[in-house]
Amino acid sequence: MQYLVSVIDDTDGLATEDEMTAIHAFNTRLQAEGHWVFAGGLAAPSAATVIDNRGEEAMFTDGPFVESKEHLAGLYIWEAADLDVALKLAVEGSKACNRKLEVRPFLSL
Amino acid sequence: MVASLTKRFGDLDIAEEAAAEAFATAVERWPADGVPPSPGAWLTTAANRKAIDRIRRENKRGDKQKEAQLLYDDDPPEPPGAIDDDRLRLIFTCCHPALALETRVALTLRMVAGLTVPEIARAFLVSETTMGQRITRAKAKIKAARIPYRVPSAEDLPARVSGVLAVLFLVFNEAYLATGPGTDPVRHDLTAEAIRLTRLIRALLPDDGEAAGLLALMLLTQARRAARVSPAGELVTLAEQDRGTWDAALIAEGHRLVRERLAAGVAPGRYQILAAISAVHTSAHDVRDTDWSQVVALYDLLVRLDPSPIVALNRAIAVGELDGPEVALAAVDRLEDKLAGYHAYHATRADLLRRLGRSQQARAAYDKAIELAGNTAETAYLTRRRDQLA
Repeated sequence: MQYLVSVIDDTDGLATEDEMTAIHAFNTRLQAEGHWVFAGGLAAPSAATVIDNRGEEAMFTDGPFVESKEHLAGLYIWEAADLDVALKLAVEGSKACNRKLEVRPFLSL
Repeated sequence: MVASLTKRFGDLDIAEEAAAEAFATAVERWPADGVPPSPGAWLTTAANRKAIDRIRRENKRGDKQKEAQLLYDDDPPEPPGAIDDDRLRLIFTCCHPALALETRVALTLRMVAGLTVPEIARAFLVSETTMGQRITRAKAKIKAARIPYRVPSAEDLPARVSGVLAVLFLVFNEAYLATGPGTDPVRHDLTAEAIRLTRLIRALLPDDGEAAGLLALMLLTQARRAARVSPAGELVTLAEQDRGTWDAALIAEGHRLVRERLAAGVAPGRYQILAAISAVHTSAHDVRDTDWSQVVALYDLLVRLDPSPIVALNRAIAVGELDGPEVALAAVDRLEDKLAGYHAYHATRADLLRRLGRSQQARAAYDKAIELAGNTAETAYLTRRRDQLA
């Protein structure tokens, strides 16, 4: 079972050095225990471009698709047996990243 | 049956549907073919077949290995320490922290206690549509997010128990004052089930004060059940109950639990305070011997933990016994904004107004309470009281 884990930020700053150390330790553990599928940090929402080609002509819009106080700062994809396993990891991950996390299941076919 | 099917198939919808289909088949066949020698086993087998059929239909690609597993049901034995009780497992799934609290309660009432959606909607003061959607969404989340069907590990257990106790408390309350014209005023099947599950939780966590408190509260309430409804089917208030019919064994067990918690010397939680209030009432052999000042003191403690209007209403009733109906009525009237849709608010006002001799206002309050009350015995009691007004 795979879960998308969104790292939610309400500041503009990047992770501090201490946070990077904690995140690295947490990531190493995810890999060692077989939960790691993918992870990546994202540039600021202002670097985003929205594309809409549902009509006659492709439209490009500068900025994120939704403006909000909180934004997606990074994401993980985890492999976990069930939600309890994913939530337990997320409790530790939130502490390590010093950010809120959202755990959302992928549709299973 | 739903609990054991859920355990086997890991899906609440499939379990519910298979059980319903099995019963429907039984209703169709038994009158013609005769009732089988072991009806329970027959139903279980039929429901298992229905569930497997449905999974086959849905899984056309046919995961053969999974099917074989379902057919042979050779689950590895549970690790030691886990309580082997499907219902307990189902409760922990329904009370999962990833679900909103009110969703957990609703789901447990539906899946574990077997209440109907209209009954649950009444208990929550929301519409049937809202409640139906809430339960459907919760089941979809359990499936999509794979919320596991098991008793949590020992380290996670204490944090998960308070949510379970809240749910069991509401199940017991609904059973003890059942709503709906077609149900018995007190649903003994459900009160017994709530007590049984609370005993299981207490066995799981013997040092948990609130588990002991909730069990004591349920026992002391259950002890009065014979006196609670008159032979004519009317609700009998605590003051008018024949205390000789109270169950002495249950009271003794409840008092023992309350004393155990007092001796623990730990600040009591909500259920322990409510159990202590119940212990004060059940210690009085005559209503005139009730130590009302102690009851009010316990409610003062409770208000600090739980400043809800319903606690304030119950405190006002106790104050009425100590300081008279006028003081109590002033306190009750301040709760109108929050409790205008709650039958007990109007029933309390009606009783206080009656005692103050304000018959006309009392009649209006009784009318409102009767209109809102869903319990048949309570409606009968309120109607008699209203009709006796001068």
